[in-house]
Amino acid sequence: MTATTPTTNGAGRQLMWRRRVQRHGWTVGVWVLLVVLVAWYATLIPRFGSFQASTILTGGSAWILLGIAQAVVVVAGGLDLGVGGMLVLSSVTAAQFMDGQPIEVAILIGIAILIGAAVLNGLVGWIITVSKIPDIVVTLGSLYIYQGLALMMLPKVGGGTPGAFRWIFTGSEHGVGANPWPALVVIIIPVIIVAWWMGRTKSGLSLYAVGSDATAAFLSGVRDARTKIISFAVAGAVAALAGFSSVSISGVGNPTTDGGVLTLNSVAAIVLGGIALTGGVGSVIAVVPAALILFFFNPILSALGVDPNRAQVIQGILIVFVMMVAGLLEWRRIRRS
Amino acid sequence: MENPHRSTLRTEGIAKSYGPVVALRSVDITVEPGEIHALLGANGAGKSTFVKILSGVIRSDAGSAHVGEQSINFKMPSDAAEAGIATVYQDPALIPDLSIDQNLTISELRRSDVEPWLERLDLADLDFGLLARDIPLATLRLIDLARALALDPQLLMLDEITAALTPEQADLVFDVMRQWKAMNRSVLFISHRLGEVLALCDVATILRNGRDVAHLTLEGVDEAELVSAMLGEQLAGVAPASDTATSELTSAVSDPSDLVLIADDLNFRGKVNGISFGLRRGEVLGLTALEGQGQDELFALLSGDHRPTSGEIIVNNESLHARSPYDAIRDGLVFVPADREEALFPQRSIRENLALPLYNRIARWFSLQRDEGTRVEGAVERLDIDTRAASQVQRLSGGNRQKVTIGRWLIEDFEVLLCFDPTRGIDIQTKAQIYDLLREVAASGAAVLIYSSELREIPLVCDRVLVMYDGQIVHEQAAATATEEILLTAAHGLEVASS
Repeated sequence: MTATTPTTNGAGRQLMWRRRVQRHGWTVGVWVLLVVLVAWYATLIPRFGSFQASTILTGGSAWILLGIAQAVVVVAGGLDLGVGGMLVLSSVTAAQFMDGQPIEVAILIGIAILIGAAVLNGLVGWIITVSKIPDIVVTLGSLYIYQGLALMMLPKVGGGTPGAFRWIFTGSEHGVGANPWPALVVIIIPVIIVAWWMGRTKSGLSLYAVGSDATAAFLSGVRDARTKIISFAVAGAVAALAGFSSVSISGVGNPTTDGGVLTLNSVAAIVLGGIALTGGVGSVIAVVPAALILFFFNPILSALGVDPNRAQVIQGILIVFVMMVAGLLEWRRIRRS
Repeated sequence: MENPHRSTLRTEGIAKSYGPVVALRSVDITVEPGEIHALLGANGAGKSTFVKILSGVIRSDAGSAHVGEQSINFKMPSDAAEAGIATVYQDPALIPDLSIDQNLTISELRRSDVEPWLERLDLADLDFGLLARDIPLATLRLIDLARALALDPQLLMLDEITAALTPEQADLVFDVMRQWKAMNRSVLFISHRLGEVLALCDVATILRNGRDVAHLTLEGVDEAELVSAMLGEQLAGVAPASDTATSELTSAVSDPSDLVLIADDLNFRGKVNGISFGLRRGEVLGLTALEGQGQDELFALLSGDHRPTSGEIIVNNESLHARSPYDAIRDGLVFVPADREEALFPQRSIRENLALPLYNRIARWFSLQRDEGTRVEGAVERLDIDTRAASQVQRLSGGNRQKVTIGRWLIEDFEVLLCFDPTRGIDIQTKAQIYDLLREVAASGAAVLIYSSELREIPLVCDRVLVMYDGQIVHEQAAATATEEILLTAAHGLEVASS
C-alpha cells in the first residue's frame, strides 16, 4: 500500500476525465435512454412539435419534482412515503385558497403553502429522529394524514387556480398549450438549486454523509438529527411545489388523487435515476430524465395503440426490465473498475 | 502558551459505565503544552472509552475535564473541535461516498487549510476529487490527520494512527508530531507499539481497569517496565490455577493423526501474514492479541466468512474450500462470534435458537421434528440455562445468551468450535460455566480454538496458547505457564524472556 494517488496534471487529466464518466455513467445512461425514447416517440406520432414537448414537460414536471423530493430524503438514508400525499394536500390547498384571487395574492398563498409544507414534513422528520420509529412506518402515517387533510379541506373535486398561476407551471392559462418554456423553468430551477445545495454546501453534503456512513458523519461533526429533519423539510416543500404543477394542469383541486401511487412513482424514479435506496449515493440530476422516462411510458404506449388496460401491465414489465438492464450494466461497470 | 502553569488538558475522576459494565472508574490525567503524552494500557483498560469522552463521542457519567481554563462537557464531536481537541480515530472518519473536497466542506475547511499539512505528509499531489472509498486506508489516515491539524487544535489525539501506515509514512507522522510539540501544542498518543512510544513521548499515563495507575516520565524507561506497569504488581504471585488444562498437552503432541484443523501459511490482505498452526482433537487452543492484530480476519477465514488470499485450511485431512459459513459448518467448523446479537434471533425462543443448526439437515433427512425436542432439552440441561424467559431469547441475560450461542452447536456434531472472545462482558459465575463447557466440549473429542482478550482467562481454559502480533503468530507455549506478563509482552511484539 503506497501513498501515491492520481495527479491532476498531464496524464492524470485523462484519468480524471475517465473517472468522471465512470462515476456519472449512470446519469449519462439515463439521459441517453430518454433521448432515444423521445426520438422514437417522435417517429410514432404524426407531428412532434412544441405542443407535444409542452405536454410532456408539463405533465412530467410533477413526477420530476416528486422524485427530487424523494431523492433528498433517500440520499440521507431515509424514505418518505408521504411525498405523494403532500402533493395532493398542497394542490387541494392551493385550489381552495387561490380560487378567484389575483395572481399576486395567489403567489403569496403559494409561498405560504411551501413554508407550511416544509414545517409539516420537517415535523415528520423530527418525530422519526426522536421516536426512532422506522421512516417507512412514520411516513406511511403521514401519507394517510396528508391525504385525509386534503379530503377534509375539499371533500370533492373543486376550487380553482388563477390563469396566471397556471401559466407559470404550464405555459398556458388553461393548463394545456404549446409553450414548453415555463414548465422547463419550473423543472430546471429547483433541480439546480437542490443539486447545488446537495453538492456544494455543508448542510447539503451532510445528507450524503449521514446516508453513506452515519458513524463517520457523526465523528466528522455532522448533526444527524438536524440533517434528517432538514431533508424531510426540503422534501415537503419540493413535493408541495409538485402539487402546484399538478393543480395548474387541471385547474381544480382533486382530493381523491391517490398519493400512494404518486409516492411509489417517485421511488421508482429515484431508483432508475441511480440513487441508492441504502443512502449516500446518487445525484438529483439523474432523477430528471428517470422521472420523465417513467412518465413517458404512457404516451408511448397509447401512440402504439396499446389497449389502456394492457398498457398498465406492459408499463409494469417495462419498469422492471429497465431496472434490470440498468442494474446489470452497473454491476458490470463496478466489476470492471 | 502565555501562561506556563495552564495545562492543555486536565481531567479529574472521569468515569463511565455501560449498564453494569464499568469501563472507566476514575481517570485523572494532565497534559501540558508542548508535550507528547502517551496513553497506555492493556485491552479493556479503558483507553478508547477515555478518548471517546474527550472527543465528544460519548458523555462521561462523572468527573470533570478542563481544556486550558475552560471546563468542558462535550455533547457531540463538533463541541470537542470547538474547544480545541481534534482526534484521529482508529477508523477513518471520512465519508466514503464523498470526495475529499466534499469531506473538507463538511468539516468547514478549505483546501488551503490542509494543503500545507498534506505536503508535510508527502501527499502534495493528492487528488481532491477522488472519493474517499477509492483511497487506500493508509492515505485516508494521513488525510484524517491533516484535517485534524488544519482545525488547529490545542490537543491532538491520535488513536493507533501508525497501525495502517508504512514505516516511511509513520516517520512523517512522527516528524509532524515533533513539530506540533515545538509549536507548544500537545499530543495524546495511543499506540500498541511501545518502541514508538518510547522514541516519541515525554510522559505516559497508564490505565488499568478503568483507573490511571501510573504516571511516568519516559526518560530511561524501557519496554519491559512499561509492560509491567500496565500489569501492575498484583500479579507477581498469581500462578495459573487450572488442573484441567495442564496434563493433556504432552500426550496430545505425540500423535499427528489427531490434528483435526491445520492452518497452513494463511494470508489475507496484509492482515493475516503467514499463519500456520495445528489443532488437535480434545485440545483447547488459546489465541490472544491486542486489538486489530489480524485476529478478526483469522477467525473470518476459519469460519468461512472470507477466503484466504493464499494458504490452506485443512480439516480432517481435507482442504477447506468454503464459499460461505455454510460450507465451513458442513465441514465441522462452527463459530461463536463475539457479538452475541450477531448469532441469535432475539425474538425467537431458546428452543428455536438452539435448534437452528438442525435446519441444515432438512434437505438431507426430511425429518426435523423427530429428535429436535430431545436434543434441545439435553442442551438446555447441559448449559444450565435459566429457561424462565424461554419464549424470547432477547429477555435472557448476556451470559445466558452466550450459552445459547455455544449450546446451539452442541446439538449438531462438529469438529472444531471457534470462539471469539466468548466471555466479554459476562459475570464471573457464568464465565466459569462457559469455561467448564468448553473443557467439556474438548473432552468429548472436539477441538476448541478460543480467542480471548482477557489474558487471565487463557490459563484457566486453554491447553496451549498462541500470541498474534501484526498478523503473525509471535509466541507459542503451554497455557499453564502463560503468565499475564509473558502474554502481554509477546502481544506487544516484544521478545519474551526465556523462562
